[in-house]
Formats: sequence, structure tokens, C-alpha cells
Amino acid sequence: MAADPKMRFLVVDDFSTMRRIVRNLLKELGFTNVDEAEDGAIALQKLQGGGFEFVVTDWNMPNMDGLTLLQSIRATPSLKHLPVLMITAEAKKENIIAAAQAGASGYIVKPFTASTLSEKLNKIFEKMAQG
Amino acid sequence: MSDFAGMEDLLQDFLQEASDLLSDVDNKLVDLEKTPDDRGLLNDIFRGFHTIKGGAGFLNATELVTLCHLTENLFDRLRNAELGLTPELMDTIMAATKGVRDMFGELAQGVQPHPADTQVIANLKGALSGEAPVAAPAPAVVPSQQPAAATAQGKPGEPDWNALHAAVTGQPVAAVPAAQGEVITKAEVVAQSPEVSPSVYGRRTADKPGGGAAPVGRRVEERARENTIRVDTSRLDQVLNLSGEIGLTKNRLTSLRADILAGKRDSETLHALDQAVSQLDLLVSDLQNSVMKTRMQPIGRLFQKYPRIARDLARQLGKDVELVLAGEETEVDKTMIEDLADPLIHLIRNAVDHGVEMPAERRAGGKPEKSLVRLEARQEGDHIVLIIADDGRGMSAERIRAKAVEKGLISEEEANTLDERQSLNLIFLPGFSTKTQISDVSGRGVGMDVVKTNIQKLNGSIDIRSEPGKGSVFIIYLPLTLAILPVLLVLLGDQPFALPLSLVREILPIEHDKIQEVGGKETLVVRGEVLPVISLARLLGWPLERHPEYGVFMQTAERSFILGVDSFAGRDDAVIKSLEDFRPRGVAGVTTLSNGQIVLILDMKELLSDVSQHLDVDRGMRALAAFA
Repeated sequence: MAADPKMRFLVVDDFSTMRRIVRNLLKELGFTNVDEAEDGAIALQKLQGGGFEFVVTDWNMPNMDGLTLLQSIRATPSLKHLPVLMITAEAKKENIIAAAQAGASGYIVKPFTASTLSEKLNKIFEKMAQG
Repeated sequence: MSDFAGMEDLLQDFLQEASDLLSDVDNKLVDLEKTPDDRGLLNDIFRGFHTIKGGAGFLNATELVTLCHLTENLFDRLRNAELGLTPELMDTIMAATKGVRDMFGELAQGVQPHPADTQVIANLKGALSGEAPVAAPAPAVVPSQQPAAATAQGKPGEPDWNALHAAVTGQPVAAVPAAQGEVITKAEVVAQSPEVSPSVYGRRTADKPGGGAAPVGRRVEERARENTIRVDTSRLDQVLNLSGEIGLTKNRLTSLRADILAGKRDSETLHALDQAVSQLDLLVSDLQNSVMKTRMQPIGRLFQKYPRIARDLARQLGKDVELVLAGEETEVDKTMIEDLADPLIHLIRNAVDHGVEMPAERRAGGKPEKSLVRLEARQEGDHIVLIIADDGRGMSAERIRAKAVEKGLISEEEANTLDERQSLNLIFLPGFSTKTQISDVSGRGVGMDVVKTNIQKLNGSIDIRSEPGKGSVFIIYLPLTLAILPVLLVLLGDQPFALPLSLVREILPIEHDKIQEVGGKETLVVRGEVLPVISLARLLGWPLERHPEYGVFMQTAERSFILGVDSFAGRDDAVIKSLEDFRPRGVAGVTTLSNGQIVLILDMKELLSDVSQHLDVDRGMRALAAFA
């Protein structure tokens, strides 16, 4: 399925290099409408401002980590439908289970390539299309 | 030639951000030694390694990933209180951090990092396995395998998301395919015997005589200059704003020019022209200031590396030293920060190595065992002042004089004429080292003279105060920026010279009947103060054709005097251009006047410099005269 190239992404990571990497990968896939946030708390604030359609977040961050962000998104009626892709350098099973239980739409282990990201995104888009 | 073709931007970004992060980790490690159970600190450090690992993965820096991953796992255990922080473990962690920094150095050279020191890896693995709950399958990840799998890109090592998702939403977890099977090969972890953990410092010291292989990586990193700079966006906005304003003023001037060329020369037009030009003047100087500010960086970025260096060195020497920082927010030109790195490291090492006494000696002297070394920066007027102070044994002027004579650096007679401050300054002479026994750390008889040369290259100066038994203080004075220097233009005949305005107190006419000879030297009494009169012509080795008519009352850190000149050409904000291959002593650089004339900027401190004055000035000045 073809996703809307104007889809608005929020990339959340405390490491600006990583935000740039994700942003570049998204650009390669044709998504240019990307905003960034440095941690979960800032992300949540931006999300509450509205207009975002997709969240890509790191797990380990100061102030508010990715898992808490995910939980907060799912607990907020206006945001709970948002697809959330978790990115982390953690490949431990408990982490993945925790993310799944919290309602993550997908999980990517660093480092990844544009094609992996595309594959993960497409899976999520498919799911969204199915409702 | 580079292992990172096409990724240079990413690499630069990563190095800058990750180096900051690592320095932060370093400081937190020093804090952690004081409060080993601070969960917040442990968490922060864990996150630091984790983040670096994540970035390193994208650069395919497998070795860096491995090292960070091991260290991160160690901190995971520490923060979950599954491991206790022992001094040996701290050494291992410090060595791992250093390994990471060395790898940054390699990355900065555009090469993939070599594997970390096998001993460090073994120690990390030993620590991880030593108290590992043998039965627990999940946390016992074998790091050396995992990153390799991950870099090969995900597929084999990556967990099966859908299966897991299905598992948590329906089936029992036990039914989840063992996605990580490959990753968990506990055998290797356990194979590392836990007793392989000698102090890394012991080992490093042992390495040293063999040519000091260990510091190479760090050297590399220190030499690599940063090509990028972080600038506060509000400062960039200001630059943008000003250049916009300048554009508008230029438009105004263009339209006025059209008017004037068309014959419209009434007073209103000329007044408008005058206004536009003065406005442009103002805007351009504002723009220069704003651009300059984009180069200003808080010196804390440099300072933050030092507590760790001081700590490592103190540990190696068996001393207890705390490096206290102050004024980290003081802003200094970026170039200057880079050029200060080496001199400051040297002074800090010097303070820890030579300044501070052994704990027993301190106890005997009634001092607290822990000594404080203070590194401070502050802005004073248009100068930056850096202070490196220790509460150690101090320096004895007498001993320094004796040493300098013994080493044949000065003669006995010369030594007798030196006052206390001049004596202390002898340590900046090439070949001087007060410790008879050359230490492993800071003293090879080179250093202090290099420190002084480096500071002087930045148009700065360095001074020492010391009190035996109480401690020593090194004070570095630096100009705020290297690029623009307000100068006074003086004339000898019709040849202009530029003097740094910061040294000029006032200008006065010289009445020749008021000049008095004291001890064969010309002096002038200004408001009760007897000041020597030095003719600039004589300083430059020019023939003194007539008596100078004006005096410039100048004050350097060392002395006050009146510089005799013929006349003045005004003042200017000189943009200093350095003389690349030819730098006569006493010349700081050259600048171009508004009429296109080239003018030498004189370095008064060097022209009049104390210790080596009589040795070098004449020669330097002949060279200058030839050039001028």
C-alpha cells in the first residue's frame, strides 16, 4: 500500500545524530514531513499540539523514556490511535515483550537500514489500512 | 582511503555529539567514585554507553559497538544492584572509557577502530561473568556475538516481532520461538576467568618504558581538529537579521547613488547619504561582533575532560587529588579553545605530579590528605584569565635559581639579579625541570617552555605565583578574540605602526626639559610616578634622528613605561593577519589600513620581554627593521 508521502512523523531521540539518521532514512523513503523531539516529555507536548500521524521513538532517553511515552500515548484518547515504532539498541526479549504489551506498533533494533525501516513501516501501514 | 565514504557528515556529527557525551560520562564516573550507589548517575552512564553504541552501529564500527555493549551491560548490572562497584571494577570501567575515546580518535582519522585492548575486554567480561546468575538466560548476552549479528543487519539476530506480539497477546511466552538462541552462548562468558583483573594502571605503567604505546590513540584524537561548531540559533538569527538590515541599507545607498548621479545634490540628499553611510558603519561592526560571537564557545567543553585526567594521574601516583572547576561558562574563541587544550593538560599534570605532595607528606605538613587543584576561567575586561592553582608544596625561588645555574641555563651573576617572580619564571626556560628524577608522567624536561610558547602564540601571557608549603598558581591571560584587535596607530617619520590599544593608558606630549636621566636611562615623572622613556625608534633599531615628541603611556603585565613616538595616525580595529613563514620577534602580525597601507602590529610584551630580553631583542629588531 502506498502511504501518503505528506504523512507527518515525529522522531524522538535524545541523540541528535540518531534523529538525523532516522530523518535521512525517512527521506530516502519519501517522507519529508518530519519533526523531532529530544525526549519523551517534549514529544508528548508536541503530540498534544496535534497534527502528527506517526511516531518513531527511541527507548532510552532522559526525562521520559520511550516506553513511558508509548504508554502515555496509549492512555491519551486523542493520541491512542497513533502508530508508534520503537527503535532501540536493545535486543532483549523482555524489552520487546514490554513494548508489545504497552501497545507498540513495531520494534526495530539498531542499527538498521532504510530497507528494514521501510519494511517495518509498510507492515504498520498495512495494519492501519486493515483498521 | 576513508572507511566512511559518503558518511563523513554523519561521522562528524556522531564524533562531536558522542565526544561530548563521553566527556560527560567521564565526569559522572569521577562523581561516581564518591557516591558509588547513586542510581541516577549509574543510569546516566548506562544511557551514555547505550547511545554511543547505537550511533556506532550505523557507522559499522563493530569494535566500538562491542566495547560499549560490554560496558553498558556492566552498568545495567550495577544499576540493578546485581554487582557492586569495587575499585578494581572502577579501573576496568575507566580503561574501557579510555578505549572508547581512543576509538573516537581512530574514527576521526577516518579509519575503523581496531579491537579494544584484549585485557580490557577480558576484564569487562570477567566482571560480567564473575557474579552473573548462571541460570538466568536472558541477561547473559554475549556481546562479542551480538553486534556482529546486528551489523550484518538484523535478520538472523533480530527477534521475531510478530511472533512475540502474538505471544504476549495470546499464547504463552514459552511458545515464543527462541529468536535469540544464537545470541546466548553463555559458555564464552563463563570461560573468562574472573581473576584476570589486574589493575589496568599497573599494567599501563609497566608498558610505558617500552615507548608508551598507550597514549597514541589519545594523541591522535587531540590532534584532530573539529571542523564543525555548534552555535546557539539565536546568535545565527542575529547574524541573519543584521545581514538583512545591511541589505536594506545597501538598497538605500543604491537609490541615493542614482539620485546623485542624476544631479540631485541638495542638502537633503547628502544628509540622507550621510545617514545611510553611518548606519552601514554601525551595522557592519554589529555584524562583525555577531559573527565573532558565533565562534565563541564555553570553555567548559574543554574543562570537562580534565577531572578525569587529574583523577587518573593522581591514582597512578598514589595521590588523592580533586580537580575543582569554576567559570566553565566563560566564552572563548573556538580556535583558542583548541590551542589551549595541550597547555592546560600540561599544567594540570604538572600540578598533580610536581605540585601536590604524597598523602603522607601532606599529613606530616598538617594539611588534609586530599589536595585540591582549581581550574578557573573568567573574563576580565577584554581579557580571559585562566587560573590553575594547587595547594601543594609550592616552589622555592632560591631552589629554582640554583637549578637553573646548575643546568647552565643562566650564570651565577644573572641569577643573583633576579627577583622572586623572575626566578619563578625560569621554569619556562627550555630544558628546565625541577625534579631531578624525570617522572613518567609530566616531566621530560620539555613542557613548560612549550606551554609558554603556545600561550604566546595566542597573544597571551603566563605568570606564576608560588609560596613554599602553600601551593602554586599559574595565571594565563588571553585576549578575548584572536581576530580583531583595537589598535593605536603611531608614526615614526611617516611610517605607521600599530600598538594594541589595551596596553595604552594615555597619550602625552614629551617636553624634553622634563626628561631626567636616572642611572643612565631617560625617565619622565607622570603624576608622581617615575616612568622610563623608551623610544620606539631605538627599540626597532632605527637611527634616532630626532627626539620623540609624543609619549604613549603603556602598561603591560610586567611593567609601565612611556613609548616615545613622532606622531599619531589614529585608532583602528585591526583585523590581524599573521605572517605565515616570517615572524620577527616583537611583531604580532600585520593589518591593512582603510587606505590600503600595510602596517605592522607590534607585540610590546615580546619587545620588552623580561627573561630573554637581552638575548633576543636586538636580533629580532634587526629582522623587523629589514622587513619594515
